Amino acid sequence: MTDATLSLQSEADRRAIAAIRRKNAVWRRILRDPAAAAAALFLIVIFTAAVLAPWIAPFDPYTNNMRLRFCPPLAERCPGYLLGADNQGRDMLSRIMYGLQATLGLGVIAVAAGGGLGALIGLSAAYFKRLDTPLMRLIDVLLSFPSILFGLAIAAVLGTGLFSLGIALSVAAVPSIARIARGAAQSVMQQEYMEAGRAVGLGDGALIWRYLARNCWPTILIYMTLQLGQAILLGASLSFLGLGAQPPTAELGSMASDGRKFLQIAPWVSTLPCAAIFLVVLAFNLLGDALRDALDPKLRQ
Amino acid sequence: MARHIAHRVMISLPVLLGVLLIGFLLLQVVPTDPATIVAGPTATKAEIEAIRRDLGLDEPLWLQFIRYLGRVLQLDLGRSMISNRPVSEEIALTFWPTVELMLACLVWAVPLGIALGTLAARRRGTLVDRAIMALSVMGVSVPVFWVGLLLIQHVGGAGLLPFQGRAGPIWTGAGFLSIVLPAITLGAVFVGPVARMTRTSLLETLSADYVRTARAKGASDWRVTVKHALRNAMIPVVTLVGLQIGFLLGGSIVTETMFAWPGVGRMAVGAITSSDFPLAQGAILVLAVGFMVVNLAVDVLYAYLDPRIARS
Repeated sequence: MTDATLSLQSEADRRAIAAIRRKNAVWRRILRDPAAAAAALFLIVIFTAAVLAPWIAPFDPYTNNMRLRFCPPLAERCPGYLLGADNQGRDMLSRIMYGLQATLGLGVIAVAAGGGLGALIGLSAAYFKRLDTPLMRLIDVLLSFPSILFGLAIAAVLGTGLFSLGIALSVAAVPSIARIARGAAQSVMQQEYMEAGRAVGLGDGALIWRYLARNCWPTILIYMTLQLGQAILLGASLSFLGLGAQPPTAELGSMASDGRKFLQIAPWVSTLPCAAIFLVVLAFNLLGDALRDALDPKLRQ
Repeated sequence: MARHIAHRVMISLPVLLGVLLIGFLLLQVVPTDPATIVAGPTATKAEIEAIRRDLGLDEPLWLQFIRYLGRVLQLDLGRSMISNRPVSEEIALTFWPTVELMLACLVWAVPLGIALGTLAARRRGTLVDRAIMALSVMGVSVPVFWVGLLLIQHVGGAGLLPFQGRAGPIWTGAGFLSIVLPAITLGAVFVGPVARMTRTSLLETLSADYVRTARAKGASDWRVTVKHALRNAMIPVVTLVGLQIGFLLGGSIVTETMFAWPGVGRMAVGAITSSDFPLAQGAILVLAVGFMVVNLAVDVLYAYLDPRIARS
């Protein structure tokens, strides 16, 4: 918007426009759905607990206490161990908090890296028309490819561990974000200011960065957030298979796998990490559903 | 039609090449030099050199890669470093159990998903619809391994059904019992997506003109839903079910590992964790190619069911 048009609007007009914009902001429409609002609140609590784990966790997640071995949740034998203790007498609540930190942290890093690359691919496909078909065809095939196979192949080549897991999750995040970014960028490409920018003599780099990327990033960011649920589920599955985080690292998938051996005598050791993964992924999926409804008015009838 | 198939094959080729490249890479990271193993502990340097030349290990990598492609085409995938049996033999043993598990999962999960999706679409906006959709979103959020763990704990632990390994082919009594829990585990995460796709697709067809015509004609509500709308709604559902094979594959790798089911997925995980590179290469290759073949078949089926696709 130029200064000339701005000066034609009164202060009140501008405030009204801003209010309408805020009211129709996508995230606001999402949060109107009570389930999605609850999910968002839950995720905020969970993320806070994960980030603050070193300060608020009641015990050290790696200190064992053999006398409290397999102490059930809320038992008198182990006061303060709200969720019980595992096979080495480690506090389950603290381990789950640290586990969330590892699981969520890895998911965030991987989606940021993979999504960033995906966004770059999507924007280039929309901007450089010649690249569109080959790039998007490749993305289509990658999108249909089961992401767990990326995980297997990368773990096989680079060895098991958190590093390979991060790479696998990043690769898995690339195709869907690339597609979203292309869609968002294509509608921006139709705008007159793109033409205007070119007429003024801006280069490709400036046009992509200043005009295209800045107008697309809110959409891309929302989808990246929602992609986190899938990344977390995939990461936990790969760790459960023994291809990601290795014991004794407190990570939800490997904790669930570790607790399998004691399923009959102490089911909570594996059930609680599973429940944590389930609730986090469920919250992300509820947000995703609300987003789809918000963006597709046809479904709202 | 032929053009459409050729086009799809062309698109898959770069990915296939990528998969083969990963397989080739896996054989390159083997820590020991194959030539020293063949030569034995008493071999001299000159002898090892001769064997290296003999095996083609001194050639440039791209030439070795082309030779590798030739070997793969002849189904020669090398030997397992642990059992020393040919990889192709190991795969032949594990292939059928995996297919069996997937079929056992699809055979109950797809009909149930379609039934639930139809019910939800018919009762749109009611409590039934909400409950089914809530179940469906829970189904896509639950980790496969939790479903398996709960079944092992409550059903397997109570001694009601076996939960370790495969007792035999599915048509034998013991074999059938041993597949029940893995098939329920794998299917549990599949019902949700199918129900949701059916609901969306059916809602679209229910508002189509020909459905209104059928109603005007005086056909009963049930007849309109099943005979007119559902039949047409099935076209996207069939394809989407096919495209979810990748999702199913991921679930089956976890399920096989949990239930000690002797399939390709469990073999792949075992080979990777024990650094048996040739076997890992073979298993990943088979999983990837198998997936691509199913995908291609579904694509062709879709084009056959809906001729508009092939033309676009």
